[in-house]
Amino acid sequence: MSDRSGVIHDIGYRGYDGPREGTRSLVLSLYVTGLRHAFGLGRSGRSKVLPFLLLGLGTLPAVIVVGVVTFINFGSLPVSYAAYLSQIQMLVTLFAAAQAPVLVSRDLRHRSIVLYLARPLSPALFAVTRWASLASAILLFTVLPTLVLYVGGLLAGLDFGDETPIFLRSLALQVVLAAVLAGITGLISAWALRRGFAVVASIVVLIVVAGVVRIIQEICSYEDISTVGELAGLFSPWTLHNGLAVAWDAGGRAVVELHDAWPVVYLATALVVWAACVALLVRRFVKVGSR
Amino acid sequence: MNGTILKLAAQALLGRRRFWLLVALPLALIGLTVLIRALSSDPDAAWPMVSFLGFPLVLPLVAILAASSVLGPEVDDGSIVYLLAKPVSRHAVAISKWVVAWAATLVVGSLGVLVAALVAGGGSEAAGWLVAALVAGTTYSALFLALSAFTRHAVVVGLIFVLIWEGLAGGFLSGVAWLSIGQWGIQVGHAVSSELDAPVNLPWALLASLVVTVGGVWFAGDRLRSFALTGDE
Repeated sequence: MSDRSGVIHDIGYRGYDGPREGTRSLVLSLYVTGLRHAFGLGRSGRSKVLPFLLLGLGTLPAVIVVGVVTFINFGSLPVSYAAYLSQIQMLVTLFAAAQAPVLVSRDLRHRSIVLYLARPLSPALFAVTRWASLASAILLFTVLPTLVLYVGGLLAGLDFGDETPIFLRSLALQVVLAAVLAGITGLISAWALRRGFAVVASIVVLIVVAGVVRIIQEICSYEDISTVGELAGLFSPWTLHNGLAVAWDAGGRAVVELHDAWPVVYLATALVVWAACVALLVRRFVKVGSR
Repeated sequence: MNGTILKLAAQALLGRRRFWLLVALPLALIGLTVLIRALSSDPDAAWPMVSFLGFPLVLPLVAILAASSVLGPEVDDGSIVYLLAKPVSRHAVAISKWVVAWAATLVVGSLGVLVAALVAGGGSEAAGWLVAALVAGTTYSALFLALSAFTRHAVVVGLIFVLIWEGLAGGFLSGVAWLSIGQWGIQVGHAVSSELDAPVNLPWALLASLVVTVGGVWFAGDRLRSFALTGDE
């Protein structure tokens, strides 16, 4: 019995000695997966329904507008780019609010974040990548209908020289809008880990506050006290977007027009809100990741 | 109805952080109404706070939060199987949960609308908004409970119904009023105060509200009866 000796068999496992890609490719693949997940791609069929339903609802009116422009020869778009986005703001907000928990909450709630952070990827970079995925998804969501309006309008015979600058300015504003919306909804989803709770909190912050601001602005334009209206517009990303769209002629409509230096203040506010949200998001991930 | 389930549902609703979001909404509504009333010289300036914010947004949001709080978390983490394993009729479970969500919607949501309406000007118009909020709050809570039992994405589906269907589509197409819980409530409120619109007719509004309320609670019980647990998507 005692002469029994153990043998470790060599069954041919080999170490990996190929090229190792750095943090950059790690971030890139995380970003692409996040962007795909925001639209439900690579996930179950049921998670594709909501994003694509919202995207369809958001693009359908643009197709109708293009159809109207084609059949009745308008000289310009009846609803221009930024004004169109303002019309579908409920859809854009719902998309942002519903998909932010998909990208942010689940990793934190199920603690799968520790698996990500076991890789050579810092919590801060992880948080920023998640934000970038969400912002890109929101940007895609807003770019699609405006692109339909632009291309359809040009095909229907609108003037290229007239439409292009307006479209490009609207595109620049959409980048700002997407950055701020992704910052706010991402931050809320990082704090409220229950999906329903996060969605309602985002809706309250984005839609209810926008509604309040709108009512205050209507009253201000009625009472002719424009400063209060301009100040109120700072409190919602949507009124920031609409105000800047009118000030920069990106085809928008707003209740209160901005005078003097207000456009600069609006842009600065958007950037400060964006920076603060991303900073807080990073702080939250650093804190959770170090537990 | 079942006393224990009532108690547990009430605890789930009151004991969490979300309760503060539930209460914060009407409080913010009332605070802003007071602010506008104090700042504006026009005596009717604060009414839009009720008709554009309180009734069509705050009330349904409160109903969504309340209905999804009594059922949502249990469905989410799967602990509802322990409740369903008890020898209690599934319809009794649904009715008990609905009563809690309904009471919360009325106390927090409808009362918030009433106070905002009283601040905005009071009179018979405030009474009309109270009746409208009571009817719509009851119907909303039943519909959202049914949604919570039907899908994991009840909150988003409920929001799509309120914001896209009732809000966006209702703003463009007047016919949507016939299939809009908020407009049914306004129609019933119109019977009390003619200051409110009359988008549909009264028998339809009452009948439709009743059908959706009873049907919603029954459907929630029916879904619980044939409940399938699925993984997180």
